[in-house]
Amino acid sequence: MKKRFMITLSVLALVLAACGTEAEETTTTTAAPDATTETTAPEGGGDTGGQTGGDLLDTVLARGELNCGANETLPGFGSKDEAGNFVGFDVDLCRALAAALFGDADAVRYEALTAAARFEAVNSGLVDILSRNTTWTQSRDTELGLDFGPTTYYDGQQMMGRSSDGFSSGSALSEIDGAVVCTNAGTTTELNISEAANALGLSITLNTFEDFNIVTENFKSGACDVVTTDGSSLVSRKATDPDGGDWVIFPSVPISKEPLGPAWAQNNSRFGDVVTWTVFAMQIAEEQGVTSANVDDMLANPPNGEVARMLGGEGEVQSAMGIPADAFYQVILQVGNYAEVFDRHLTPLGLERGLNALFADGGLLYPMPIR
Amino acid sequence: MSTDLRTPRAEQRPPLWRNATFLKWAAQLLVLAGLVGLAVILGLQASGNLAAQGRTFGWGFLSRPAGIQIGEGIFTFPANGFQVLQTGAVNMLRITVSGIIAATVLGVVVGVSRLSANWLLNRIATVYIEIIRNIPLLVQIVFWFFVATLTFPNVTVDQEGAQWLIVSNKGVSIPWLFPTDTFWQWAVFAVGGLIAARSVYKQRVRRLEETGSDTYPGRYAFLTFVGFVIVGWFAHPIAGALGWVWQLLAAIVSTVPALGWQLLLAAVSVYLGIRWIRRFLDSLRSPAGLAKLTDDDWFRIGLAAALGLLGAFVFLFLPSITASLADLVEFVLRFFDQKFDFLRTGNPLRFARPDVVLPGRFPQIGTSGMTMTPAFFGVWIGVTLYTAAFIGEVVRGGVLAVPKGQTEAGLALGLRRSQLLRMIILPQAFRIILPPIGNQYLNLAKNTSLGIAVAYPEIVAVGFTLANQTGQAMQTFLIWIVFYLIISLGLSSVVNYYNRRLALVER
Repeated sequence: MKKRFMITLSVLALVLAACGTEAEETTTTTAAPDATTETTAPEGGGDTGGQTGGDLLDTVLARGELNCGANETLPGFGSKDEAGNFVGFDVDLCRALAAALFGDADAVRYEALTAAARFEAVNSGLVDILSRNTTWTQSRDTELGLDFGPTTYYDGQQMMGRSSDGFSSGSALSEIDGAVVCTNAGTTTELNISEAANALGLSITLNTFEDFNIVTENFKSGACDVVTTDGSSLVSRKATDPDGGDWVIFPSVPISKEPLGPAWAQNNSRFGDVVTWTVFAMQIAEEQGVTSANVDDMLANPPNGEVARMLGGEGEVQSAMGIPADAFYQVILQVGNYAEVFDRHLTPLGLERGLNALFADGGLLYPMPIR
Repeated sequence: MSTDLRTPRAEQRPPLWRNATFLKWAAQLLVLAGLVGLAVILGLQASGNLAAQGRTFGWGFLSRPAGIQIGEGIFTFPANGFQVLQTGAVNMLRITVSGIIAATVLGVVVGVSRLSANWLLNRIATVYIEIIRNIPLLVQIVFWFFVATLTFPNVTVDQEGAQWLIVSNKGVSIPWLFPTDTFWQWAVFAVGGLIAARSVYKQRVRRLEETGSDTYPGRYAFLTFVGFVIVGWFAHPIAGALGWVWQLLAAIVSTVPALGWQLLLAAVSVYLGIRWIRRFLDSLRSPAGLAKLTDDDWFRIGLAAALGLLGAFVFLFLPSITASLADLVEFVLRFFDQKFDFLRTGNPLRFARPDVVLPGRFPQIGTSGMTMTPAFFGVWIGVTLYTAAFIGEVVRGGVLAVPKGQTEAGLALGLRRSQLLRMIILPQAFRIILPPIGNQYLNLAKNTSLGIAVAYPEIVAVGFTLANQTGQAMQTFLIWIVFYLIISLGLSSVVNYYNRRLALVER
């Protein structure tokens, strides 16, 4: 009787010890079986980010590490290199944020999220910032409980078909009548394409997948006639795929606006301010000609007051925001300005600046003054 | 008076804190309070968190347009969130039902093959089971999906027009018999045929037992059924008169005022409770009088009374429930009314061959013929093969559990092995294999949720998309839970019913 009691007690102790450990590695949150664990408050590891009073910024600073929701299947924006590290345009925003908050661009824990799982990940506190080519829409801003930062990439939805099927870059949307169209599940893309097809009176069959890699495979085998998603994703797929030569992207004017940018849980304004001004700092750095190569010279001899303030000199506002004075200096030094990040990840895929140039160069980027 | 030791005199009763009866009840009530308290705490926590995020907990998203288009199902352009979930649910049931049937057939074949004396058959079945059981189901489903989309050929333009079989990466299409709008009228004759066949069967079996001569009950019953079916094929317009019955019932349901239905349902609820209690008490009555009621009996009586009163309360004071029930009944009656029309003619079944159409630039599989999309193919084949492997092992276990003496006796009587299996072994094995097979059916029903990986729009996949687009994740989860609970409880109650009927009657 006593022996059984001791055995039970030791087994219980072992179980409790196992449950209490903080074994957290980069996990991939993809299909439904995994998704059921996200909406409950995460146990062991992550905090419940800023919902229990207090701003998310305090939680993140206390933790010392940024939880970043990223894409792992989109070359150029968010993917994994051969070593298994996350790289990409959106990933660099998380790195910049970490550099601003902690002075270390690698103080990030990445969480690969599918399109369908990403919003609950933010709302449940699993990730602090969602940098995963997410479109800023009214319903996401209000109903879904998110706040959005400045758009980092102005994109539009387009289709991709095979030139051997008779498509060309001048094709119109009406030419997809009767086709099987494939796209991602849980995105603005599927809503836009059904609305657009309805408006034109086209009849299409829409298949939505969790993983865009499967969409591409089906497109190559012929099970999908046409593929649709953001134009930048299509360009990146076409550039990296060996069969891409036969593919054409149309229509030349995208069928929808897709302003892509970072998002976080709403009612965390101080955290949001940090994100917003990190983005603006990178764009202002390009405006003022500050690069990762010359940032030390610029710090020593700032050409004007704005650069001085941005890099942490006299009149800087960073410390009042709750981040170190040299936050943006670290961002430019460790990650680079907007142009450097763009050239590093997106130019190799054939994407041009286009709408994503500074307003002075004819684009839409208009960073607010650092004063 | 004091010979009954279970009810001691007052001065002999132990104090309250040592009183076994009191402690039992107190413990149960405490646990109940604890559970309710836990549920309340969790609920408050959840609503608090949602409020902090600025989100609301509402069911409005079910009636608002969803903007989603679904690849296949009853509503490919759902008008609201509820229709989205309906489509998903029907898609899930399609795979569940067809999967259960296919898996059972294949499973029994595989299980019996594994016991066969034929070495090749034996080995093939063993290899099949061992391989399929040890690979995760998700991998298998994705594998079959890729087989369907990557290896099957494209639909080509020169196939345009009616075909006999289309195998392509956009789907597999076969010829099929489709019900037309006179199908239900014909079905009435078929049902009548089943009833007639059953009575013919019983009659002939009775004659067989009385006289001992060959009366072939099975054949006669089958011929009766076929006769009714053939007569019905030509005479079904007469059955259309049933439409008037449905119309009458629907009119009754709609004209009786709501209050009338409420009172009726409340009275029925109370009556059922009283009837249950009386029957229960009668079952405990013996010629010596009513047996002493134990705590358990009191609890059951109390529960029955509480449920009866609760039902009455709900029906009397929540009119919306009665109204929705009445609407539902009326909907069903009008649905049937639509299917029947006096002197409506036409063949009840329509044979259609698959065809290839060219609606735009791309050849597609047309809507005639029965089409299986690659996603459906992947999920169906995957779950069928997987569950069949497990069912095969269960069947094998059941057959091996039948005592060997039965086989030997049967062989000694000169029965062939197939007769032995069919008439002696399998009926006895059935009792043993039924509970585990019920288990496998439940597994199959739940495994269909893996369809999300291959874009099969079943309820988890469409619910996920809906939750993502509307932000109502918690409500969607609740709906999933309730749906799967209903399906699982339904399946297991059917299996349990057969289980009880097969139970050995002990003396």
